[in-house]
Amino acid sequence: MLKRVPKTTLKSLMKKKAHIRVGTAADAMVELNVLLFLHSLAEEARTKAFEEKSATIKAHHVKAVSKVLVRNSARGCLGLN
Amino acid sequence: TGSAKKDPGLSKSYIMSVFKHFAKTKVSTDVYPVLKEIMERYFDRLADDLEMFAAHAKRKTIEVEDVELLMRRQGFVTDSMPVNVLIEKYLPMESRKLLIPVATSGNYVIPKPRRK
Repeated sequence: MLKRVPKTTLKSLMKKKAHIRVGTAADAMVELNVLLFLHSLAEEARTKAFEEKSATIKAHHVKAVSKVLVRNSARGCLGLN
Repeated sequence: TGSAKKDPGLSKSYIMSVFKHFAKTKVSTDVYPVLKEIMERYFDRLADDLEMFAAHAKRKTIEVEDVELLMRRQGFVTDSMPVNVLIEKYLPMESRKLLIPVATSGNYVIPKPRRK
């Protein structure tokens, strides 16, 4: 059973500036995005660990795959600029 | 941006439990500092993108559709993977109720179906 995300923390992380507000249920969607992000991070880190014949995910596996993933989520910025 | 104390981010227990849940293998404890940093960068970018999408739609409030657009751009939501499927697969019941319209007695639908 997954833990619930703390809502107030999540809302404060969703916005950097005080004048932006968070609409109803938008934080639930961000919760989903956090889960999807950690899911793909975990899966790719596991693949990386297995490639290196390690049964345990270690810090450097996560570091290695995070570079690709963060670049991927950077695609969010491209279209509207 | 800002010191780590000012902006605590998600708790260690939350991040690690979710990561371990999805990893389905042993996870070394030294993974946490790396994850913490990744999540900080992730939320920085997320906040920027959401504010930009909301501003683009001339709103001052981040709405569900902004996050949906973000997930489309991230490649999580596609034509063959609709957002409702992801919601049902990943989110706990309480959050799901906020996002997926359900008919209740008297023909009321909660929440209001989203306009397209």
